[in-house]
Amino acid sequence: MKTWKILALLLILALTVPGFLLAQSAAETGETVLKWPTIWVGEDSKAGEVERLVMEFNTLNEGKYQVDIEANPDYDGYRTKINAQVAANAVPDLFVFNPDPTSFSYYEGDRLMDFADELAGDWGKVFVGGAIGDATINGETKSIPYEIGVTPIWYNEALMVKAGVTEYPETIDDFWKVADKLKAAGIVPTSQMTGGTNAWTSMLWFSHIAMSIGGPKVWDKPITDPVFEKAAEILLKMYSDGNTTKDAVGGDAGVSGGHYLAGRTAMFINGPWYIGRVRGEAPDVYENTKIASLPAAGDYPGGQIGFALSNLAAGATDNAAKKGGVLAFMKWMTEPENVKAISMDSGAMFAVKFQTGAGDAVDPLQKKFTDAVNDASFVGTHFATVYPSDVVAEFGQALAKMALGRATPAEFLQQIKSVID
Amino acid sequence: MHSVEKVLAARGLVAKTGPRFSGDRPMVKRNKNWKQIILFLLPVLTLFLLYFVYPLIFVFVTSFTEWNGISAMQFKGLGNYKRLFLSDTFRLSFRNNILWALVLGLVQIPLAAGMAMVLARKPRGWKTFRTIYFLPNVISQVALAMMWLAVYNAEYGMLNGLLNSVGLEQLTHNWLGEYETAFPAVIFQQLFYIGYFMIVILASRMGIPESFYEAAEIDGANVLQQEAHITIPMLRGILVTTMTLAMAFGMRHFESTYLMTNGGPAHQTSVMGIVLYRNLEALRFGEANAIGTILIVTGGVVIALLRWFFGRKASASETVQ
Repeated sequence: MKTWKILALLLILALTVPGFLLAQSAAETGETVLKWPTIWVGEDSKAGEVERLVMEFNTLNEGKYQVDIEANPDYDGYRTKINAQVAANAVPDLFVFNPDPTSFSYYEGDRLMDFADELAGDWGKVFVGGAIGDATINGETKSIPYEIGVTPIWYNEALMVKAGVTEYPETIDDFWKVADKLKAAGIVPTSQMTGGTNAWTSMLWFSHIAMSIGGPKVWDKPITDPVFEKAAEILLKMYSDGNTTKDAVGGDAGVSGGHYLAGRTAMFINGPWYIGRVRGEAPDVYENTKIASLPAAGDYPGGQIGFALSNLAAGATDNAAKKGGVLAFMKWMTEPENVKAISMDSGAMFAVKFQTGAGDAVDPLQKKFTDAVNDASFVGTHFATVYPSDVVAEFGQALAKMALGRATPAEFLQQIKSVID
Repeated sequence: MHSVEKVLAARGLVAKTGPRFSGDRPMVKRNKNWKQIILFLLPVLTLFLLYFVYPLIFVFVTSFTEWNGISAMQFKGLGNYKRLFLSDTFRLSFRNNILWALVLGLVQIPLAAGMAMVLARKPRGWKTFRTIYFLPNVISQVALAMMWLAVYNAEYGMLNGLLNSVGLEQLTHNWLGEYETAFPAVIFQQLFYIGYFMIVILASRMGIPESFYEAAEIDGANVLQQEAHITIPMLRGILVTTMTLAMAFGMRHFESTYLMTNGGPAHQTSVMGIVLYRNLEALRFGEANAIGTILIVTGGVVIALLRWFFGRKASASETVQ
């Protein structure tokens, strides 16, 4: 009888004590530990500098604050994790999110820390104009604008020259002529993809085309508007007659980016965060890459796509030490010199202003991105920033259907609309 | 009863009407030390209630609501279920899960059983083959999916390369990107991972006394007759169990499809797990939980049907005997 009881007690202790001890060991150090699950790890071009800055912050705040990076290299998995944590009211101390209509739902309730008061002071002056406003809803700024994206057309000039093309096409009609020349030279004109969670490359082609036809305010129109149907027709042509690779239907970002890196495709779309990858993995392609806007498909030529890519956020807390730690870290990560360090190393662009001097080795390709934005006739946004994630996910599925000849451009749009409804 | 079984039974090597199905209950002596039993069960029971039963009830209740996980829930009645069954994508995903369950249960298990029967006869190199077949079970699903992505790729994939090299260019496809080939291609790669079930069946097969086979051989039974009339009847319980498991895996299949096609092209390979995942991403927890409930119920129904079917067959065969 006694043995039974002892064994049962041991069983209960074995199940409960480890958790208790873990909690106590954290409390004994006296240091406020902030957990930061982040995607900026591993292969991400910002990983190195971000890790260095975190280590430097920890050294400067030793005994007071400590930021622990939790590596989450899978972007989609990370998003799901954050969704679940916010829903479970177990919001991470620090995290990153894509500011799209779905993620802005995090602002509802009181689960995120509001930085509006702090940003109203000097700290707010480090950000580019409009960035804080874009991160503010009903007077609450529950995230810090951080990385921004610009996604112009990338083209490999060496492949163009090889095909006898001397100038980047001005109009979409010229674009098809260039595509024919490229194909004749055995080069696939464009990188495309219907896979991944948002068919990223093709979604950006579609967005560029739609804006070129309908202008920067095109997204105010319903998705079944003739402007989008015309854009879908052009996108369908990009999937036809060998204008893209055979694996584009079903292909993901690795496929579309991989073909451009391997010099198999001449044109591609992505943001400046990809510069580090091209520079490291395909130096020849990097040397020959030029940046442009979409050849005019309508009445609004020369536009570019620019958008907020990642915001920093933190779980709301009543713990003053934790709040102090979060604020210190946010200010540290948005210090112009620190942002500059990440930008210089990775090629990524940020919503924080910083100065570059003659001694700074600004990446030439990154400079082309900046020039592209400065030279743009207008800057608009893309499809995935306008619609919730389930609508964005449907884009790739509907596109595959159209590309495989199972849906017309009008049906493609109707399929997307069915999810919007 | 077949002649071989009759001979074995006559020699006392097989019980004529002994328990043959794992569902048969042996007599259990009632333990009166209920206080100790409760004390021992309490920790695990608490965890089970907290981390399994409570979430299950929560999933069921919230499946009738519209809820983004942050704002207050709004009761929606059967709205989520109605929306799901009106959705072409969900209906296609449901059908695909049924197909997954059928293929895994009716093709993968026979393959695993066949291989276990071959290996149990200990041909030359059987241990090596046993290891080879089990190897995929210790490799991550992600790595395997990446490997198959490379095999199926339309531009540089091994499969198209092979077809091109033997002059069968007309048979090359964008295997994961075409309506006709995507779903079969995803299922096909999974069929070969028989290792887990093969090991389970093999372990049971090894437990059958060799004397049964020796006796059958003396009586003139060939290998196929021995397998059909000794092995299969004696493995009936484990075959039903593995088939049940395989079909349950099929009903909740998600990983390799998500990794290889994300449900595409045009939802052709989608399964319920992918639709659920999309709803989670879109912060539509009510609808996601409705799918979760459907998954649990259909999984339970499939298992119950399977047990009922094989239980009925077992009773019928015992009645005949």
